[in-house]
Amino acid sequence: MISLSTLRADAEALARQLPGLSLQAAAADVIHPGAAGRKRSGSGEQFWQYRRYAQTDAADRIDWRRSARGDEYFVRETELETARTILSWVDPHAGFDWSSDPGRETKADRARIILLAQGIVFAKQGERIGLISGNRPPSLGKNAPDRLAEDMLRAQAEQLEPPRAQALAVIASDFYDGVEAWRQRLAPLANTCRHGVLLAVSDPIEHEFPYTGRTRFSRPGSTLDRLFGRAETVRETYLDKLAAHETALTDLAGQMGWALVKHRTDESALRGAASVQAALEQFGGKA
Amino acid sequence: MTLGPFLFMAPLTLLSLIALPIIWYILRATPPSPKQAQLPSLRLLENVDPKEETPSRTPWWILLLRIGAAALAILGLAQPIYAPNASSNSDASGPVLVVMDDGWTSAQRWGELRSAALSALAGEARDTPAHILLTAPRALPVDPNERLDRAAFEARVRSLQPQAWAVDRADALVRLTESQFRPGRILWLTDGLDPESASPFAQSLAELAPLSIYAAPARGPVALTRLSADAQGVGLTASRIGSSEPSGHFVSALTLDGAALATAELNFAAGERTAAANFTLPPAALSRISRFQVTGSATAGTVWMWDSTDRSRRVGLVSGDSTAQPLLSDIHYVRKALEPFATISEGELTDLIAENPDAIILTDIGQIDTEAQAAVSTWIDEGGALIRFAGPRMAGPQVSTRGDDLVPAPLRRSSRAIGGTLTWEEPQPLGTFPDASPFAGLEAPEDIRVRQQVLARPGPELARRTWARLADGSPLVTADRRGEGTLILFHVTAGPDWSDLPYAGVFVDMLRRSIAAGRGEAISDEEGLYSPALTLNGAGRLSQPSAGATPLRAAEFGAVVPSEAHPPGLYQGPAGTRALNVAPEYTPIAMTDWPAAATLLGDTEARALRLGGVLLGIALALLCVDLIVALALAGRLPQFTRSVASGALALTILALIPPGDAFAQTSFGASQFDELDKEIAAALEMRLAYVETGDARADRATKAGLEGLSLVLFRRSSVEPAAPHAVNLETDALDVYPALFLSLPENPDPFSDAAVARLNAYMRNGGALFIDTRRGGNIGGGNSFDGLDQILPGLDTPPLAPVPDDHVLTRSYYLIQSFPGRYENRNLWIEATGAADKTERRGDGVSRLFVGDADYLAAWAVDERGRPLYSVDGGDVQRELSIRFGVNLIIYILTGNYKEDQVHIPALLERLGEDEGVGDFDAQDGVIP
Repeated sequence: MISLSTLRADAEALARQLPGLSLQAAAADVIHPGAAGRKRSGSGEQFWQYRRYAQTDAADRIDWRRSARGDEYFVRETELETARTILSWVDPHAGFDWSSDPGRETKADRARIILLAQGIVFAKQGERIGLISGNRPPSLGKNAPDRLAEDMLRAQAEQLEPPRAQALAVIASDFYDGVEAWRQRLAPLANTCRHGVLLAVSDPIEHEFPYTGRTRFSRPGSTLDRLFGRAETVRETYLDKLAAHETALTDLAGQMGWALVKHRTDESALRGAASVQAALEQFGGKA
Repeated sequence: MTLGPFLFMAPLTLLSLIALPIIWYILRATPPSPKQAQLPSLRLLENVDPKEETPSRTPWWILLLRIGAAALAILGLAQPIYAPNASSNSDASGPVLVVMDDGWTSAQRWGELRSAALSALAGEARDTPAHILLTAPRALPVDPNERLDRAAFEARVRSLQPQAWAVDRADALVRLTESQFRPGRILWLTDGLDPESASPFAQSLAELAPLSIYAAPARGPVALTRLSADAQGVGLTASRIGSSEPSGHFVSALTLDGAALATAELNFAAGERTAAANFTLPPAALSRISRFQVTGSATAGTVWMWDSTDRSRRVGLVSGDSTAQPLLSDIHYVRKALEPFATISEGELTDLIAENPDAIILTDIGQIDTEAQAAVSTWIDEGGALIRFAGPRMAGPQVSTRGDDLVPAPLRRSSRAIGGTLTWEEPQPLGTFPDASPFAGLEAPEDIRVRQQVLARPGPELARRTWARLADGSPLVTADRRGEGTLILFHVTAGPDWSDLPYAGVFVDMLRRSIAAGRGEAISDEEGLYSPALTLNGAGRLSQPSAGATPLRAAEFGAVVPSEAHPPGLYQGPAGTRALNVAPEYTPIAMTDWPAAATLLGDTEARALRLGGVLLGIALALLCVDLIVALALAGRLPQFTRSVASGALALTILALIPPGDAFAQTSFGASQFDELDKEIAAALEMRLAYVETGDARADRATKAGLEGLSLVLFRRSSVEPAAPHAVNLETDALDVYPALFLSLPENPDPFSDAAVARLNAYMRNGGALFIDTRRGGNIGGGNSFDGLDQILPGLDTPPLAPVPDDHVLTRSYYLIQSFPGRYENRNLWIEATGAADKTERRGDGVSRLFVGDADYLAAWAVDERGRPLYSVDGGDVQRELSIRFGVNLIIYILTGNYKEDQVHIPALLERLGEDEGVGDFDAQDGVIP
C-alpha cells in the first residue's frame, strides 16, 4: 500500500492540475450537496435582500446605511449557505490492491490518489469530505484532506454504511465481484445518496489477457484458482465477458442515477481525476 | 559377462532395462507443471469451460531424453569394459607375469604403459593371479613370486612410478630365474629402446612362456645429452629416436626455484637424431640457472642439471685503503663489477690464500710483505690468478727499491700523469686489444680516457706480456704466467681517480676474462664427499633425496652411472654443487627385431577402456539438459538464464584474470619503480624526511609537523623544501635526505640491527638525526631518555650535552633563548662540542644528533589548510617560538659551521685592522646573513 506522504504528495500534485470545482447552486432545497446558495435567507456571506424592520428584530440588525436613505428601517439579510458532503470509499479487496507490474501502482492506490485529489479540491471550496463507513464524520476546512488521507490508508470497512444525510458518493472498485452482488451492496447507499460516481479502476493486463500455454490462474485475496491447459483458447471468451461486465456496470450506474467512470492504471491519473470531476460537476448542474 | 568386445562387470544390473517401459509410461502420464498467474478478474471466467482441460502431453523428445538418460545410467552401472583383445587370450593357463620397464626412458609414455598393464588381466579367468617384474634395479626389488589378485594387482600397478635411472634387463632376468617362477603368460611393457639388452631379454622371456609385448618408445626428444658453456652463453644437445620428420621443441632455462629465465628453440632437422639449443644470456642471468628442461616433457632425461663448476668463480678482494666512504673506494667498483657472476670474499691476503680462491684482486697494494709474498707465489704457481691494480702507493716513492716481484713487468718508480696543466699530452683513450690477449674481441669504447698510469720499464718481454694498451702504445694491462697461474696488472686504479675505465662496461668483461685466467674449479678436493641435496624423480621433478641416496666422491663424477644409490640431481660438497645427469652422451636406439614367437600388441589391443564412468557422465549430462528444458517449459527460465548468464560471466572473468603470481610480479615491479622514483625525487629536490615507526598516529603527526615546518621555511627563508618523505630505515636510500626526524610513539618497537647500522652510516656520512621522544615532563624535571638505547640498540651516540646558551642554534636564523615544543622549558640535547678530542669530532664540529622530548613535531603540525593541529602549552606565542626553533634547526643542519664562522667575522676583521664600519656589525643581536 502506498505510504501516507507519497499519497499526499501525489494527490496534491494532481489537485493543482485540476480546475476549481464549481458545483452550481442549482440543487433543490431538500438536497444540500455542498456549499452553495440556497436561494433563501439565512446565515451566509452573500447579500440576499433588504427586509423591512420588524418589532422582533434586534436593533443592531438594522442596516443604517440603507435606512438613512428613507424613513423606514431596513434589515440586511444574507443568503443561506450550507456545506455539501462528498463521501468516498475505496474497495479494500486484495484483488483491488494489486498490480500486474511491480513498477506500476496498484489499482487501489490509483483510486486513493484520485479521490484524495478530489477531496483536496473540494476542501478548498469549503465542502465536507469524508469516508463512507469511516470512523470520523465528514469534516471541513484545511485539515480535512489530512484526515481523509489518514483514513484512506487505515484498514477500510468492507460494508457500505449509508450516510445519515444526503451526500455525493464516490465508490472506487474494480467491481469484479459481479454486477448483481454490487447492486445488492449499493442499494442502501443509493437510497440515501441520490447521486454518486462509480469509479471502476482496472489494470491493463485485465484488458489484454496475454497468457498462453498451461497456466494456473489465481485471484488475489481469495482461494479461487483455475487451471487452463491452453490459456490462449479462453482469451476471446474472457474479452467478451469483460465487455459484457462493463456494459452491465454502466447499466447499473444508470439505474441508480449515478455515473460510471472507467479508468486504467496505465492511463494518467489526471485523466481519471478529470473524468470524476466532470461527472461530479454534471450532477451539480443537473440537479 | 562378455558381449562382443564388451565385458560387463555387473551384468545383473542390465535386468533393470526391463523397467524402462514403466518409466516411459510414468513420464508420459505426468504433465509439466503449469505456469502461475494472478488475475483479479478471474471471476469473469467462472462459468467458462476450458476447451482443452486435459494435461498437455510431455513432448516426445523430452521422453526420449529421459528414457535415454535412464538407459545410459543402467548401462553405466553394469560397468562395461571395451577390451577387444579379451577373447583372444582366453586359452591362457596359469598366472600372468607383467614385466614393466620402469626406467627414465619410460616416463614419457608412462600413462600408456600403465593402462596397458591394467588390462593385462582383462580377458583372464576371474581368479587368475598376476605377478609383477620391474626392470629398473632397486635395492628392494619386487618379488616376481608375489601373487596378486585382481584388486591388489590394479592397486599395485596404479602406484608404480618410473624411476630416474636406467633399466637393467639382465639383472631383472637373473631375478626372474632365481625366483623359479613359472608364468602361464607374459606381458612385457617396454620403452622399446636399447636393442642390445632388449633382444636377449625378449628371447629369454619368449622361451619361458607365451610372450606379448607392448612397446611405447618415447616421442620427440628423449634426452638432453650434452652441455657446452662459454662466456657468451650455453649450448645444449638433445637426441631423439631416429625419425625422418623435422620437429620443433623448446628448452627452458630454469632457476633453482623453477622460474624460467629463458627459452630456446630446439629444432630437429629431417633425418637428424640430434639437435642443439643455444642460449645467449648475460652472465648475471647465467649464474642463476640451475637446470635446463625440455618444455612439456616430464622425464628425468629431458632435464639437465647444471652445477656451479663452470660458472661461479671464487674471488678474493684485498683493498689497500679502508675509507669510511664506501662509494668512493676503489674496491667498490671491482665488487660491483664482479658481484653478478663471482663469489666474493674479502679479507687479509693470507686468509684469502687459505681459502684458495680462483683469483685474488689487490687494489693499490704498494708492497706485499715477505711472508705473504711466499704464500702468494705458491698459490699462483698452483694456478691462481693474481690481479693487481696500480695506485698512488704502488707508484709512490715509499716503494722500496727492491719492489716485490709480483708484477708482470718491472715498473718505473713514478706514475705518469697524462693531461693536466703541466703536460703537453692529452688524456689517452684505449687502443685496440692485441690479438694474443684474452681481451681480444672486446669492443674498446672511444670515450674512455686514462689520465694517469704507472709505466713499465721497456723490455723485450713487454710486448708479449701486454694484454691491453693505450692509443699511444703504452701498456694498460700486462700479464705474466707463473707456473700454473697468471699474474695480471692493471696500470690504473680500480676506481675512477686515474681513468674512466671503471665506468665502462668493458671493465666488467676485462675483469671476467682476467679471472678466467685462473684455474677455475678447485681440483684439490678429489676426496671431497658430495652428498645429494636435490634429486630428480622419474617425472623430472626436483625432490628431496630419498633415504637410499648416498654421497659421491668428487672423483667419481663422470664415471658413476645414476642408480638408486646415486640418483641424478644436485650434490652439495666442499667446492659448491656438482650435478649428476642421467643421460650424458646417451644415444637412444629403437628396438626393431623382436623375437618371432612374441606377439606385438598395437595400441588398441593393449588397452581396455572402462566405459562405466563415461556412460554415467553422459546420463548425468542428459539429466542436466532435461532440468533446463523442464524449467524452460515451466516458464522459470528467464530468471534462470539470467543467473546462469551472470554465473558464466563471472567464470569467464575469473578465467581471464591472470593467476595471482602475475599480479604479485607486476605489483612488485611497480613498487620497485616507485622506490626508484622516490629516491630520484628526493635527490632532485631538498626535502625533510621522517622515520616510519609503524605507529600510524605518530607517523601522521610527524608528517604533519614536517609539512608545517616545510611551509614555514618556504615562506620565511630561502630554504624551499618539497613535501616530506617517509623513509624505511632498512630499505630506503637515506643519503639523499639532509635530515631525518624520528618521533617516537608511546610504545615504540625497537629498530633492527640493520636499521641502526644504516642510521650510523648515515650520520657518519654527514646526515643529521633529530629524535623526539615526545615524553614532555614537569618544569625543572630532567629529560628522561630511558629506553632510547633499547629502541635504537647500538646507535653510535657521541657524548651529549644540553644546548649551550651561545650555541649557533640560538641564532642561526632567529634569535631565540629556549627550544619549546608542545611542552615548555625542555632541554634539547646535542653533541657536546669540545668534550671529545678535536680529531674525533665529526662533521666539522656541527652536531649531527639532536635529542629532545618536547614533542616539537606536534607543535609544528598543520593540516592541509595550514591550520595548527595540536594544542601547545603556551598558546600561539609558544607555537611561534617553537616554529622559530624549527627554522633555526633546519638552517643549522643545512649550513653546517658556516653560521658559526660568521660569528667570528667581526673579530677577524678587527684583527685585520679594518675597524671602519665594523662596530655596527654586532652578531649578538642581528640576524646573521
